[in-house]
Amino acid sequence: MDIPILGKNARVSDKKIAGMHFLNVVRVVWLREILIYFRDRPRVISAFMMPIVMLILFGEGLGGIIELPGISYRQFIFPGMVAMIVLMNSIFAGVTIVTDRQFGFLREMLVAPVSRTAIAVAKIFGGATIALINGVVLFAFAPLMGIDISFLIVVKLMGLILLVGFMLTGIGVSIGSRLRTPESFQMLSQAIIFPAMFLSGVFFPVNNTAKWLDFFVQFNPITYAVAPIREIGLGNELEKVQPEVAASLINIQAFGHTFTILEELGVVVGFSLLMLWLAVRGVRNAS
Amino acid sequence: MKNIEVNALSKNFKDLTAVDKVSFDVNKSEIFGFLGPNGAGKTTTISMLCTLLKPSAGTALVGGYDIISDPGNVRREIGIVFQDTTLDERLTARENLTFHGELYGMPRAEIGERADALLARVGLTARAGDPVAVFSGGMRRRLELARGLMHKPAVLFLDEPTIGLDPQSRRNLWDYARSLRDSEGVTIFLSTHYMDEAEACDRIAVIDYGEIIALDTPAAHKSALGGDVVSVTGPDLEVLSSEIAQTFDIDPRIENEKVEFNIQQGANFIPTLLDKLEQSVDSVSLRNPTLDDVFVSLTGHQIRDGDISTTEKMRNVQRQGWGRRH
Repeated sequence: MDIPILGKNARVSDKKIAGMHFLNVVRVVWLREILIYFRDRPRVISAFMMPIVMLILFGEGLGGIIELPGISYRQFIFPGMVAMIVLMNSIFAGVTIVTDRQFGFLREMLVAPVSRTAIAVAKIFGGATIALINGVVLFAFAPLMGIDISFLIVVKLMGLILLVGFMLTGIGVSIGSRLRTPESFQMLSQAIIFPAMFLSGVFFPVNNTAKWLDFFVQFNPITYAVAPIREIGLGNELEKVQPEVAASLINIQAFGHTFTILEELGVVVGFSLLMLWLAVRGVRNAS
Repeated sequence: MKNIEVNALSKNFKDLTAVDKVSFDVNKSEIFGFLGPNGAGKTTTISMLCTLLKPSAGTALVGGYDIISDPGNVRREIGIVFQDTTLDERLTARENLTFHGELYGMPRAEIGERADALLARVGLTARAGDPVAVFSGGMRRRLELARGLMHKPAVLFLDEPTIGLDPQSRRNLWDYARSLRDSEGVTIFLSTHYMDEAEACDRIAVIDYGEIIALDTPAAHKSALGGDVVSVTGPDLEVLSSEIAQTFDIDPRIENEKVEFNIQQGANFIPTLLDKLEQSVDSVSLRNPTLDDVFVSLTGHQIRDGDISTTEKMRNVQRQGWGRRH
């Protein structure tokens, strides 16, 4: 069979064509992230294992010991579990850029006539999508944790998870684009995930912690991601308790100010853009 | 028409000069070889021409576009098969090709058609749906070649394309490269440290320590040596050598227990040699010069057989590890 090899491709001169190419690159790179996620069986299985482990640990273990005003610890921790799942999956998704580099595939992308921003955006969306898939699995366990969860809450939470996932995968890709081995990525991301998780109000209402802990909590961007997830996730439960009690469970007081949910989301969006900028720079210098 | 024009291109890494003011042109539809030992600067030069590495100084045009000011258009014009594999092992052979087509903005309908045609051409149709993780080294290389051609590049870069391939796969790859040049007019730029491979190029640049020390056709390189290589052995090589030098006014060298020298029409010279020599001679042999001889005479040393890089070693180990699970 004879295949014509030579032949000029259409010049991408038109801005509109360039824009479409940008979106198409985002789409295929994102699609590949999702494809290789589902082909990695252990990663998919862990999406179902983690919620079960957490359910036992927090629901049955700590749930019976810790007492909170107004609601049960089981109910309180459920949005925290969602946040934890999103946190771990998103940041860890940044490892794909390390393995792409290690196995050479990153060069295949970098030598193509594509925008580095498109690659970074696609990788970040890919991680956010995987976080969403894992988060949705967890929703199925909500009734077991005594949470009254409506369709509207699920939709809102999904949007929120995508946003928070974008910020957290941004952290992962920013780190991943600057490291050379998956091992170092693993170590560094663990070193970030654990303290960030404990100092973000995942496990306990942040207003109850010691003053010196508060200092770290208020500088932790993840604090501002956990609070909206809790406020929306517990929506139906919080309506059943006194407003002051509800506020004590979900509000963040930082820098002498009580944050509203919109302000919290503002922090998340701002930090997401910062991470996107860092990730694009990282991909640009990755060759 | 020129497809690559390189002008005083240099690359420094801290205090190491990897590529030192390299200049050359590559014509359209030419197979141009970069011959040199590992570490000579071959891959660094290719990386600069492919816009993956910024030159420290100098300029180059690839496919008519400047690699520094217009990398986007350069990328559109070139296809590359890297020294280390850059396939995604978790994707199938066909997915690797279609992903590539999408990255290069090819129309959807064309992507599928071309992927199938190229898979057929490199003999991978039956394995199109298998993940690359189960592929042998030769299959990977063929797939990478197909991928490099997906978007119809004007210039194809092959960086040590046959490293780690069995002889049959090497031959196939070469046959294919030649047919590409002949039927489609693709310009091929390849680097190698195998002499037999360089032999098959239209022109060869010999590169050592970051500098091009000679550039010509293989035949011209060899004739520049001054004819055939005659090797003489005898009981006392030193004496033999000096007698040859005095009697025939040539400059022999002692190598591998033999006295060797270059001379035009060596076959006709041997009777004269034996006739006039007074020293006893054990054997005389004659051969055409090889590129090995060219390389030694140009650089004063043999081409060092390359170590594979540490990363590549590790990859091979991991590949085997993954292979077992399948």
